[in-house]
Amino acid sequence: MLTFLLVLIPWIGLALFLLPKAWVKAGAVVLALVEVLLFARALLAPVGKSLATVDWNWIPSLGVHFHLSLDGLSLFLVGLATVITLAAVLTSCRDRGAAYFFWLLLAESTAIGVFTALDLVTFYVFWEVVLVPVFFLLGGWAVGPARRTALKWLIMNLFGSLFMLIGVVAMGVVHAQETGHLTFQLASLAHTTLVPAVAPWVFLSFLVAFIIKAPLWPLHGWMPPAYSDAPAPVTAVISGVLSKLGVFAMVRILVPLFHVEMAQAEPWLMALAAVGLVYGAELALRQKDVKMVAAYGSLSHMAMMALGIFTLTQAGLVGATFYMVAHGVMLGGLFLILGWYEERTGSRELRTLAGLNQAVPKLTVWFQIFALATLGLPGLPGFAGEYMIFQGLIQSNVTVAVVAGVILVVAAWYMLRLFQGAMQGPRATGRAPGDLTTPQVGLIGALGVLVLVLGIWPAGVTSHLPRLAPAGVHQAAQAAPRKGGERA
Amino acid sequence: MMHFLEPEIIAAVGILATLVAAMLVRPRSTVPYWFGLVFSAAALVRAFTLHQSTHLYGGAVLGDSYSIVVTVFTLLAVMAGLLLAWDPERYGPEFPALMQLAGVGAMVMGFAGNLILLFLGLELLSLPLYVLAASRRTPLGGEAGLKYLLIGAFSSGILLFGAALLYGATGSMTFVNFTAVHVVPGLMAAGLGLLLVGLLYKLAIMPFHMWVPDVYEGSPTPVTAFMAFGTKVGAAAALLRVLAFGFSLSAAWWGLMLGYLAVLTMIAGNMVALPQRDLKRLLAWSGVGNAGYVLVGIASHNVVGAEAALFYLLPYGLAILLAFTVVRILEGREEAPVTLASLKGLAYRQPWLAVGFLVAMLSLAGIPLTAGFIGKFYLVRGAIAADQWGVAVGLVVATIVGLAVYFRPVQQMFAPGEGATGRFTVGTGIVLAVAALGTLFIGIYPEPVLHAVIQSARFTWLH
Repeated sequence: MLTFLLVLIPWIGLALFLLPKAWVKAGAVVLALVEVLLFARALLAPVGKSLATVDWNWIPSLGVHFHLSLDGLSLFLVGLATVITLAAVLTSCRDRGAAYFFWLLLAESTAIGVFTALDLVTFYVFWEVVLVPVFFLLGGWAVGPARRTALKWLIMNLFGSLFMLIGVVAMGVVHAQETGHLTFQLASLAHTTLVPAVAPWVFLSFLVAFIIKAPLWPLHGWMPPAYSDAPAPVTAVISGVLSKLGVFAMVRILVPLFHVEMAQAEPWLMALAAVGLVYGAELALRQKDVKMVAAYGSLSHMAMMALGIFTLTQAGLVGATFYMVAHGVMLGGLFLILGWYEERTGSRELRTLAGLNQAVPKLTVWFQIFALATLGLPGLPGFAGEYMIFQGLIQSNVTVAVVAGVILVVAAWYMLRLFQGAMQGPRATGRAPGDLTTPQVGLIGALGVLVLVLGIWPAGVTSHLPRLAPAGVHQAAQAAPRKGGERA
Repeated sequence: MMHFLEPEIIAAVGILATLVAAMLVRPRSTVPYWFGLVFSAAALVRAFTLHQSTHLYGGAVLGDSYSIVVTVFTLLAVMAGLLLAWDPERYGPEFPALMQLAGVGAMVMGFAGNLILLFLGLELLSLPLYVLAASRRTPLGGEAGLKYLLIGAFSSGILLFGAALLYGATGSMTFVNFTAVHVVPGLMAAGLGLLLVGLLYKLAIMPFHMWVPDVYEGSPTPVTAFMAFGTKVGAAAALLRVLAFGFSLSAAWWGLMLGYLAVLTMIAGNMVALPQRDLKRLLAWSGVGNAGYVLVGIASHNVVGAEAALFYLLPYGLAILLAFTVVRILEGREEAPVTLASLKGLAYRQPWLAVGFLVAMLSLAGIPLTAGFIGKFYLVRGAIAADQWGVAVGLVVATIVGLAVYFRPVQQMFAPGEGATGRFTVGTGIVLAVAALGTLFIGIYPEPVLHAVIQSARFTWLH
């Protein structure tokens, strides 16, 4: 029931339309706060199964269950969604209007739905509904050619997810033909074997949808305009929470259902992710817009997570899952900082801005912390995630591990270039902008503490994770991870 | 055992009562409209309370749960058409009777078990619509009426020819007798082909769709709304019944052919809808595309497909009624053309109207939590169960095109600018609310409706 409440409460945001304009933001903050508290309740209290799982016979005629579960895999991603949404709501401008806050809350609700769904159709429903709030967040309020951006997001994502619909239905139908029982429960479908003629296509239909949503190279076409045009809180939500949907779905759905196909296609998948890793880092180095540096850096990080998943080792999967949570907090915070930065300087051009560290020391400090966390400094969470992914990579494919190692250096390069370009050096602008206000420091400080906790104590997350690696896929991986890969 | 046809009988009596009422009262009175509405509602209530089935005249009249579903859908369309047209000064006293007559035609197509009744239903459905389509006294209205009449008469002729050939080949008019006879396959195939063409004309399947945009644009909006829902219900119901009852053995042949046509119709229909500026034309092309979706279920020639086709009519019908209601409200009494530009800023001027339109577009686009998604999900399931992977992929491609079609008007609603402002009436308000809530209800909790529809479609199949 708790899980269902987490999904349901943001919908109360509909009532925001009834509130007087001055109260709208306060109402949204309350709802987002309730979500965080519900998550804290789930985290702190020993939650029994009955509390955290709902499994209703939703559409018996179609064999569809409404099955949500706050299990070890989804727990911290749900937390990520609640925290980042609260931060985004708090940093949003007061006069955005009820619709904006409602869409923001709705994005949270649907993201939580995707994270917790254990029925393929329930998953699909949330997976697609999430497109609607983001469509409006991108199209209704963003600057510039926002309409095209929003439409691009929608059409690219739906392109993927509608082909996935065929995959979803095919899994159910094939399972029904095998067992005579129509169901879409992931646990049951895991034992379904597709005919060899169909299996790669069904696998591909899921994979493409997940790659587009993440996004991963080469299907990231919607990402640059969306990250660039959207207001900072929206970018924080998209990059922090929604981009995790794609990679999370790989862990949740591809690994249990299609690990055979994944193992067969592993060299190709690895190559795909490795190219994306290099491509994102390379473009991040060349960007002149501060927001785009972070955006392409994020593209590279998503490829890192995908690499971890494609290893199909316990270390790689755990690392990728941990990295999702850590990356969400880091990137969410980083985009909020860049938003404040833009708000103060009125510009995002890396060349025109420099030497702000004198004028805005608080902003500089937090910028520095988040930049360092993002580039993977040991002690901060980026490192812990990347370490585990590397462990998985070395077990399964050393060549790719070497490529990824090189890219880590490049990651440090572009993040430091971003920080130095914006903050250090001789002052370029005339008027000194104002520093962070106390509430802003409080907010980013809270996220910063979260980053530090994750960095120092990654086992707090990883110990909750179940065994993710499929049995019998990697013979080598069976023996090796005992050395320390499994923190659980 | 006539009482199984009571909903249809009530509706037919309603026509006469409405006509008599129209003669007795002043020309501008709303009394005939009330008569039409009350009798339709009574028929609807009766339809909901029926539970057994009957076959009359050697299988010519098949009053079963399938025909009930068709009757219910048709009555919904009739009532929506009446409520949208609640303006005796504009539409005249004869409008309700004609609308009900067309509705009864669709119902007859739903329970027709032989070719004569099928033809009778088709003509009952079409003739009043020829009149209604031309009732707008503008050049566009005249064009619509004439085009509909000529093409309708043409397709009826083809259907009749097909029916004659089938009778020649089998010696029977009744659907169920066709399967048993394999005497002259060539003649039978020709008969079936012509029969299909006749029905596909009514359903507006490509390449038999050319009349749709002009007729939909030129007809008064309430008539268009009825045509978009009621006509398709009748044609699809008859198509499903004749194929399932009469030709289930040769399904491999027609299933393949209809599958190709469905893919063509879905994709091309939505493609052509994409550049449309006039909202009615856009919806007309979307109606063509959606007819293709219905055909997917029919083409998959299995029980899941039959269920899906029958069920999909409802989400589609509610969404298209909703969209045409918004057109009706925005065009006002002058029936000015509603373009995409008229939608500009609607979300800020008339938020409730915008919400209704948004629901319609989301449902037509097949976004989850609206009825359209459940329908598409079901159709894909039917196609895959029939091993028609190509059709499933075609449906998905068409849906992707459809998204661009349906989100363009939505973006217009949220774009700044001055467009049209419409005035709600009680009738349009009711249709808007019922269709929007129905769409959301079926999208969120589809089980009750799904169960009822599935049972009736399954019944047809096992016959």
